[in-house]
Amino acid sequence: MTTETIPVPALVGVETQHRIEQFLYAEAALLDDHRFTEWLELFTDDVHYWLPTRVTRTVRERDIEIAGPDGAAFFDDDKAFLAGRVRRLTSGQAWSEEPPSRTRRLLTNVRATELDSGEFEVRVNFHVLRSRLELHQDSFSGERTDLLRPADTPLGFRIARRKIILDTTTLPAPSISVFL
Amino acid sequence: MFDIADLVQPDKGLIDPSIYTDPEIYQAELANVFARSWLFLAHDSQLPKKGSFLQTYMAEDPVLVVRQRDGSVKAFLNQCRHRGMRICRADEGVAKAFTCSYHGWAYNIAGELVNVPMEDRAYHNEIDKSQWGPRQVPRIHNYKGFYFGTWDDEAPSFEEYLGDMAWYFDAMADRYDDGLELVPGATKWVIDANWKFAAEQFASDMYHVPISHSSGFVALFDDPEIRALAAGALAAPGRQFSGNGHGSGFGLRPDLVPDPAGPDFDAFLIERREEIYRRLGEQRALAVYGHNTVFPNFSWLATNNTMRVWHPRGPGRIEVWSWAYLPKNAPEEAKRASRLNTVRTFSPAGVFETDDGENWTEVQQVLRGHIARQTTFNAQMGLGHEQRDLDGMPGRTAGDMFTEMAGRGMYQRWADLMSGLSWQEIAELDKRRREQEEAKQS
Repeated sequence: MTTETIPVPALVGVETQHRIEQFLYAEAALLDDHRFTEWLELFTDDVHYWLPTRVTRTVRERDIEIAGPDGAAFFDDDKAFLAGRVRRLTSGQAWSEEPPSRTRRLLTNVRATELDSGEFEVRVNFHVLRSRLELHQDSFSGERTDLLRPADTPLGFRIARRKIILDTTTLPAPSISVFL
Repeated sequence: MFDIADLVQPDKGLIDPSIYTDPEIYQAELANVFARSWLFLAHDSQLPKKGSFLQTYMAEDPVLVVRQRDGSVKAFLNQCRHRGMRICRADEGVAKAFTCSYHGWAYNIAGELVNVPMEDRAYHNEIDKSQWGPRQVPRIHNYKGFYFGTWDDEAPSFEEYLGDMAWYFDAMADRYDDGLELVPGATKWVIDANWKFAAEQFASDMYHVPISHSSGFVALFDDPEIRALAAGALAAPGRQFSGNGHGSGFGLRPDLVPDPAGPDFDAFLIERREEIYRRLGEQRALAVYGHNTVFPNFSWLATNNTMRVWHPRGPGRIEVWSWAYLPKNAPEEAKRASRLNTVRTFSPAGVFETDDGENWTEVQQVLRGHIARQTTFNAQMGLGHEQRDLDGMPGRTAGDMFTEMAGRGMYQRWADLMSGLSWQEIAELDKRRREQEEAKQS
């Protein structure tokens, strides 16, 4: 492959890129700070929050390694169910998060594309570290593809779609009791 | 060495927690429990065509399960006979053959060795390929689309192994004319806890639901009144079954609807009501819709359409492999509602499942303690209140879902197998125990 055939991303402007990154960092900070009710406000009413499963397949079948929309998933939520999760997490009875985990979200490789609709498709690599109780530690890494819709809010966007892909097939953790 | 009779005393409801931690006991379990029992391998719908395969485990042993040309299913150890390399390293797919990537021995989908590289030059054409296929799972049984296998020639037939549990299993496996299918894709995760905690809970434990899962109901229902109503279902009468180490527990529901999967699934159930009643009888269709374990490590929850295998990974670790199951040929919106109900409640991110993992990992952590490991657990709930054939429900039954009868039954079967008793001896012992219990009850 020559360098001419490597797809060049349609770059957004420097300021837009900056605003998108700052939005994502602010969102991550709300989660790390356990401000779930405010975090929920960042999603549109028609949001789809989705983490499909994946399996190990041979190179020939790799295009079908990630489960489709009718397949198995870790998360497959609409706004109402996200709200239910927030209600649970703030209930004081969600024992896998009471006492709460300590989390640290690292986001990198932010790649934004502007769509004809005026929305932005944003791919980002993430590493979420979860420390729990005494010595329990989990590590979740992968890629997110968000659809960001410009909004008349202080942070400038709402999340209309989030697809999360983990790097693992078998989750090396007892649960995903946090948001990714 | 350990003495099983000191470790579990089901008739007294006492458990020594070293059975969850001792590496020696664990190794004995692999030999005496898992290698002698019928273990779940696959569901029909996972192997749609000739050459469809999946890799799974029988306890710690990796096996390949493969659809054959004639439509039957074979299973064999995923281990090359030359130096033991895994002969297939994909989780699932469609194959014409399996070729070991170490030295290239190749096996057909029936598990026969068909090609050895340099057979003439290196082996002088003296290798008898018919003798060197991977180890076959000698007994496989297709029970209503669910394939189970055992390594043990002495084990009873699968139907005999199920015993009265068949009646309860059928409430799931035999509910619809068209049968079931699995949602594509297994959900797999790791819990640092002994496999028996999970298997026992699904056999026997409705007791944890209102406490462990109180926040699950908060997530599902915004309206506190509806939430109270859902939680109130636990106040309704219930029953539990125990037999051959298996267990099933459930509340007695007044109607098929409302189902936890919501209105789109309700519509489907109402349309199929007659079919379901015809197949199961009204009483069973309504009642037998709870938690279940087929001994030792295959479990399902009817209310949430989740089924799973608890693969043991040492005394302190489980790999959970779970699937959502659906009625085949149901309308798309009903399937969608059912699938979402499973994902949102009983995936490892589910609003119920996350709290189960928390309990089991914490218990296992505590059992690192020398004193904690020797401090007896109480499994006496409902002890002495066992009945038989209650309301026509076959087998050993309890008049409430809040009992640990099925847990004690599971540990009894576990102890019998661990003691090295033959299947014949276990059958005779069970008969005697039954006679004694019936004498006491009359």
